Amino acid sequence: MKSLIRCMCALTFGLLAAVPAHADLKVATSLTDLASVAQFVGGKHVTAQSLCRGYEDPHFVPAKPSLMKAIQNADVFVSTGLELDGGWLPLVLPGSRNPRIQQGTKGFVDASEGVDVLEKPVGTVNRAEGDIHPLGNPHYYADPKNLEVVANHLAEVFSRLDPANAADYAANAKAFDDRMDASLAKWEEQMAPYKGASVVSYHKNFDYFVDRFALKLFGTVEPKPGIPPSPRHITELAGAMKQAGVRAVLYQPYYIADAANEVAKRAGGVAVEIATEAGGLPGTGDVFSKFDVLVASVAGALSGKTGAQQ
Amino acid sequence: MFRFSPSCSLRSGLRALACLAAALTFAPVLATAQTRSMFSNLANPAIGMNALFTGQAAPNIDAAYGLGFDEAEISLISVVDPYWTLVSNIVFLPDGTVDPEEVWVRSTNIPTLQLKLGKVRGTFGKHGLLHTHAFPFIQGPIIMENSIGGEGFKDAGIEAGWLTPLPWYAELTGGVYQAIGADDDHPMDFGSTDHDNVPFLGHFKNQLDLNEATTLEAGLSYLEGRGLYGNRNLSYGADLTIRNVPPKNSNRRGWILQGEYIQRDSTTGATYTKLTEGGYASLQYRLSQVWWVGVRTEQAKDSFTDFLVDDTGAQIPGKVNRSSLNIAWTPSEFSFLRLEYSHSKADAGIHPTDDRILLQVSYTIGYHPAHAY
Repeated sequence: MKSLIRCMCALTFGLLAAVPAHADLKVATSLTDLASVAQFVGGKHVTAQSLCRGYEDPHFVPAKPSLMKAIQNADVFVSTGLELDGGWLPLVLPGSRNPRIQQGTKGFVDASEGVDVLEKPVGTVNRAEGDIHPLGNPHYYADPKNLEVVANHLAEVFSRLDPANAADYAANAKAFDDRMDASLAKWEEQMAPYKGASVVSYHKNFDYFVDRFALKLFGTVEPKPGIPPSPRHITELAGAMKQAGVRAVLYQPYYIADAANEVAKRAGGVAVEIATEAGGLPGTGDVFSKFDVLVASVAGALSGKTGAQQ
Repeated sequence: MFRFSPSCSLRSGLRALACLAAALTFAPVLATAQTRSMFSNLANPAIGMNALFTGQAAPNIDAAYGLGFDEAEISLISVVDPYWTLVSNIVFLPDGTVDPEEVWVRSTNIPTLQLKLGKVRGTFGKHGLLHTHAFPFIQGPIIMENSIGGEGFKDAGIEAGWLTPLPWYAELTGGVYQAIGADDDHPMDFGSTDHDNVPFLGHFKNQLDLNEATTLEAGLSYLEGRGLYGNRNLSYGADLTIRNVPPKNSNRRGWILQGEYIQRDSTTGATYTKLTEGGYASLQYRLSQVWWVGVRTEQAKDSFTDFLVDDTGAQIPGKVNRSSLNIAWTPSEFSFLRLEYSHSKADAGIHPTDDRILLQVSYTIGYHPAHAY
């Protein structure tokens, strides 16, 4: 009997010993870009997943209970901040019953902290201007430099939660910054011929890219944020583009391709589908490949070599 | 030693004037700064309001046609402290009364469990969880107002929702509530004054992703309490929802197929009575960012509804079948206009059939929390 008990104890301790000494940090994010950055910074110590897919409109993610389940055991939640996920996150976070990642706790991260936010409304916010973001434009992830801010922020958070691997997180963030700086130099070279060129985007989610690469945003296919384009707006926008010689219309996979194509066709330009979120198009699996494809697409549209002439 | 001189006097005067000007200039600023620090509004709750108006052309109803005011719902939501978030919906009704429809706190720091405490909308079924402006059809299902309540079961109590460790979303909810008698809002009589009369609820909700666009949700609900005369009053229900939201068109396309069945019973001693039963099946289809259409068919047995009256005008119960068709225009997330036609057929009353057209408009300002999936 004693030997049986000894045997069972040995088996139990053996099984316990087989469990890793510490579990990875489980990180969930609102956006694919944030998951990609978290994975670079966390390396082997982190598993990161995004609740929103790269080809899904980050404003309108259905607050499915399965999303709550997906973050039930997360150690960290990285929100885009600036209310981009404000339409669904206030349901998903409490629904997870996970006290570690609620707003105000150590596990909740507002990734927009430290980012130089564009288009902060001055004075009263008025929805007559459409569904505007009261805290400023939340699409900062379209600027590569802003992702460095996010990477350094996440390295601090991960280090606080997992001090044993703090050195790895700091080193990974430094490597991320270095790689992003080197890539940015390459992308700036690719975009250099188009400095000052004008583009039309579907929604006001391309402003940070425009700002970084010294382009000009001529207009948007949406007449106002969140308001679908009317035939009249399409006619007026296309007419103005034609007059000003603007040819490139850029739209994400989750917007109405027909409307973007119609504007481009009437303006005599090209409409090009772009991914501003990692995973939005094939070959954009992480933030570096996303910018590789994005820069090539925009440069192609502005050169007139990409996209069929409409 | 200070010596008076005309030039000194002039300089002193200028200095005094400068001081006075500075005081007048900066005093309001200082006062404002002080006021701000003493009475900060930075922790104020998020505030929103929804206003709902409905018009109805129903030949069998003794009421004038035209657009009427339904309700104005003011919502206040804020974090209380690191442990609780408070949610309230205060409804202003056309007769001038104010109904604190929901005032409850939600726990935020208990793993796997969520407590709701206060005046809550009991977690029963699917339709019973919706606010009026979130009804998929202008008219709620007839079985609702004949079972747990037209806008669901609303009462003061405590609910605990446990997110089970099963690999899919499986939530088990239990609740206990204040004993209250039947009224227009609460068809179920829980008015027994016995000390051990504690109405209680059980709910089991499951949700699975069938693929990245389609989800399946199935639930079971149970509600019971004792009536004024000691009888056990209970309702139970089952619901099934299949919903499709394509990720690339999450704001433009999709459909919701939903069905729900509710039965309400009463027992006195060994005598069991089925009071009413019924259900609905509906399909909502999204045509574009701004257009939705929907169709619903429903049945309610031994139920009351507004056109079901005898020749004295008194309401009588009967079996009612109703079909509804609607179209909604939502130019933005904050307003909608919808048109609905319904045809009903009953097995009793002086108007065995009823046809009506309804028009509803809804406007929302301020902060409005997202509706549950």
